[in-house]
Amino acid sequence: MPEVVVDIAAGWATLLLFGGGLLLLRAPDTLHRVLALDVLVAIVIILLTILSYLRDVSYYIDAALALALLALTSTLVAARYVTRGGPFS
Amino acid sequence: MILDVVGAALLGVGLLLATIGLIGLLRMPDIFHQLHPAGLVTGPAVIVVLLACVATGSAEIITSAVLVILFVLITSPLSTHAIAQAALRRPRSRP
Repeated sequence: MPEVVVDIAAGWATLLLFGGGLLLLRAPDTLHRVLALDVLVAIVIILLTILSYLRDVSYYIDAALALALLALTSTLVAARYVTRGGPFS
Repeated sequence: MILDVVGAALLGVGLLLATIGLIGLLRMPDIFHQLHPAGLVTGPAVIVVLLACVATGSAEIITSAVLVILFVLITSPLSTHAIAQAALRRPRSRP
């Protein structure tokens, strides 16, 4: 890919990160915060993928895989916390 | 050359999907309404951006990206479903 396209995509994804931060600041509730953090993790995965294209290195996508795994676990535990008051109860 | 165009188009479509989902998230009033654009950001936007790896032509990047695509295909509906069920079953007295 041309370098300019990937540069523009990285800048765009950074702007999306600001939008996700605005969403997190406007959240009135625990579940809204959980949802906003889920969306923020998705945007960070997009950013890491674009960074991997930019530098032509595959390690950033592996980091994105680990981040997706952590996001799934944290979302499940936080949803369980909202429903029952604790992750193991 | 063709691969470059395809990769740039996939990157643009993925970021456009993420932008549309984020605008929807900022405009929707309720958590059940907000789950729909959130599913757009966490599912198709990530997958389309990861599909743009065909333009890099590097085997390592394509292998890792296919793994992440399979993982996201499984986990994105799971997390959305967990949030929806928690919103449905949470106790009403607590904010």
